Amino acid sequence: MIWVETIINGVLYGGLYGLLGVGLALSVGVMRVVNLSHGEFIVLSAFIGVSLIGVVPWLHPLALLLPVAVIAFFLGFGLQAVLINRVVTRPDPFAAILLTFGVAVVMRNLMVEVYGADPRHLQAGQLAQASASIGNLHVGVLPLLILAVSVALFTALQLVLTRTRFGRIVRATADHRDVVRLMGVNPGRVYNLVMGLSLALASVAGMLLAIRASFTPYSGVERLLVAFEVVVLGGLGTFWGAMLGGIALGVAELVGLRLDPNAGPLYAHLLFLVGVLLRPSGLFRVRT
Amino acid sequence: MTNVRHAYRSWAIVALCVIAVVTAPWVIGEGVQRFLSEAMLMLAMAQMWNLLAGYAGLVSMGQQVFVGLGAYCLFFASISLKVAPFWVLPLAPLLCAAVAAIVALFMFRLREAYFAIGTWVFSEVVSLLISKTEQLGGERGVGLPTARLVDPRWLEPLTFWISAAIAVASVFGTYALLRSRIGLGLMTVRDNDVAAASIGVDVWRNRFIAFVIAAAGCGLAGAVSFTATLYVAPGFAFDPNWVVAMMIIVIIGGIGTLEGPILGVIIYFALREALTVVFGLSAGWYLIGLGLVAIAAILFEPDGLWPLVRGRLGGDWLSVRREPPAPPRIVAATPAAAGVRSSPSGFGATPGDR
Amino acid sequence: MTLLEVDALDAFYGDFQALFGVTLHVEAGETVALIGANGAGKTTLLKCLVGLIGGRRGEIRLGGESIGGEPAERISRLGLSLVPEGRLLFPSLTVEENLLMGALNRRPGRWTLARVYELFPMLRERRRHWPDALSGGQQHMVAIGRALMSNPKLLLCDEISLGLAPLVVDQIYESLGHIRGEGASIVLVEQDVKRAAGAADRVYCLLKGRVTLHGEARGLGLEQLSRAYFGT
Repeated sequence: MIWVETIINGVLYGGLYGLLGVGLALSVGVMRVVNLSHGEFIVLSAFIGVSLIGVVPWLHPLALLLPVAVIAFFLGFGLQAVLINRVVTRPDPFAAILLTFGVAVVMRNLMVEVYGADPRHLQAGQLAQASASIGNLHVGVLPLLILAVSVALFTALQLVLTRTRFGRIVRATADHRDVVRLMGVNPGRVYNLVMGLSLALASVAGMLLAIRASFTPYSGVERLLVAFEVVVLGGLGTFWGAMLGGIALGVAELVGLRLDPNAGPLYAHLLFLVGVLLRPSGLFRVRT
Repeated sequence: MTNVRHAYRSWAIVALCVIAVVTAPWVIGEGVQRFLSEAMLMLAMAQMWNLLAGYAGLVSMGQQVFVGLGAYCLFFASISLKVAPFWVLPLAPLLCAAVAAIVALFMFRLREAYFAIGTWVFSEVVSLLISKTEQLGGERGVGLPTARLVDPRWLEPLTFWISAAIAVASVFGTYALLRSRIGLGLMTVRDNDVAAASIGVDVWRNRFIAFVIAAAGCGLAGAVSFTATLYVAPGFAFDPNWVVAMMIIVIIGGIGTLEGPILGVIIYFALREALTVVFGLSAGWYLIGLGLVAIAAILFEPDGLWPLVRGRLGGDWLSVRREPPAPPRIVAATPAAAGVRSSPSGFGATPGDR
Repeated sequence: MTLLEVDALDAFYGDFQALFGVTLHVEAGETVALIGANGAGKTTLLKCLVGLIGGRRGEIRLGGESIGGEPAERISRLGLSLVPEGRLLFPSLTVEENLLMGALNRRPGRWTLARVYELFPMLRERRRHWPDALSGGQQHMVAIGRALMSNPKLLLCDEISLGLAPLVVDQIYESLGHIRGEGASIVLVEQDVKRAAGAADRVYCLLKGRVTLHGEARGLGLEQLSRAYFGT
């Protein structure tokens, strides 16, 4: 029984990992840029959440998901417009990686200076302890909620990309950034919006993660690696694949922790390495 | 300047440098020695990262794994064999080379950014595995009791000389490698791997060699670095800040040149000392400062600062650029047949001269 | 009135000069053919017209207005539409979505999705397919349809017969006839000299970035064309 519960919890948190990754998958898929500061923005969102809670302590952290996401959107927009757009047109594929890496270093250390290195936590109050009983199984209410939010956001993203005019423009820009200019689309502006969206999604994941576990300014590295593993396992730029990748990682991590309490993210990382060995193009190829 | 005098001058400079390095421990204090050792080891590591990114086209963000593995190898070899650490130093690069060879087999399936982060994941895995293994010291790490086998008066100087040797080897070794056939292959791969493959350059093999050498270099430098601190733990050994430093040094100094990392190390340490000693800022601020400089470098001077300085200093010190083969001398049977009016200098005029 | 005027146009890719003093014009309602061998500069010229080439010298005027320095995003709104070499359809979009992309910058005019489907009936059956499921000829039709959706004053077609079977090319050129009939002006870039000269009112020939010949399509002899095409 305990194993089934572990696996179910793994699936539920895996949805969260999928959310961590889908933002990255979006920026990788559309702009072919791996934003190495993605993890730092995830952590920054959590810190912003903590700061906002300080201002409105009577509000539940979940209610802050939207405001923080909006803030993150503008941060992403700015990051792309001011910095990344300048290197996106360069033939050198590493310029963007190195640039975002520099941004990550600056952000990480700035957060240490501003917020300090102590672990922080977003208190979810009673919700964190609550658990529902389905038959003989005990499943946390919070994990269920997190999965629901993840699925909802994934579905919304999918719908936006496939059914709206904006989604069409994004997909076309991802395909041929020069040809869309012939149709009046400014690829730079599309990229700004996509990066904003990417970080908004990441911020939701960051807040939810902060409710689940404590974080420090150094947590960004781990978040980035998870997001990245999700993207690669899921098939380098596809979305439902990222969700499945996230679930696989979540299950691997929780099952691993049950077997080996000191492991940390080890088993998730090992799953990733095995996945790369077997099929570097991704285990879950799903067309957008 | 004639070639002979040029050669004499070069040898004179080399001799002076050797003398300076050998006598330094008696002239400068221990603190300065330690600082210089750190700088020279950092130079070696930066050269390795530059070899990968600037010449082989491989951006590795997990290079710290070899720094750590080199250190752990040295510590445990020294402890279990009960000998002074310096005797087992060669084992560190050997272990790292072996690990790199195996890692390459699956990491090379990933391209570009994915390779970069994949190596990082590998580093985290190694770090976590060691943290969980009590025999290897676990999370707390281990000290180096066998360091007592070395006469304490010689510990610092030996570290200093070995660091200097490693730094010099990294620079000139890379130089020699790049001027060799393997080096030529590497640079074609860096510039255009598809074109390189189509003319028969074994892309995979060239990158593999570079990756293994870079691993060995970082392992050696890491081993010496931790010998100086007499303590190793996963948190320090596999700290991503190692590769952060390597990257920043190479980016600011000049990627894809041999002089770049030298300039980069100077700037890195100058900035660090200025920010921490002069301004009294904490370590975090100097990383922020360096990060900002690196961002500025990528935006405005992606080739680093060396190309700017190179002009002022009148040319390359360590150029690995090849001269194209000289154009063929076309010698006609008779000047009339070649359509060239015969000139006083006789044959050798190219067709088209009038 | 003269729809398009190009005056002494030089174009550069970095240090490499691709066009040398190209001068040409297109009158409203005309079809002008631009012929030349591979590498002659035809695609470069079209890219200059739509604003995709940065290194440029010289004048380009559309309807009397100078469009030389304008960015590509704005030029499409001014009435210039390109069917790119190699089609360059968006693989992540369905056929219909590709066509709709063309309508983003639509000017008032007769071309709508319905009319494009009338022109190319087989596209209507395949509107929800991905472009890579279509044949070469059908992909060309999508590319042309996409360019038409903005109701351009001037339609630029880059090698629309490339790689297609003659029967299919016939179909494409027939549709061009319909498009002409609606009053559009067309610049037709082709390697196939006979086709191009047959469909056009006037012909320009490019060789190594320079205009080597121009005149009425009917009046040009095969020998003249060969010389201009290949150089002596």
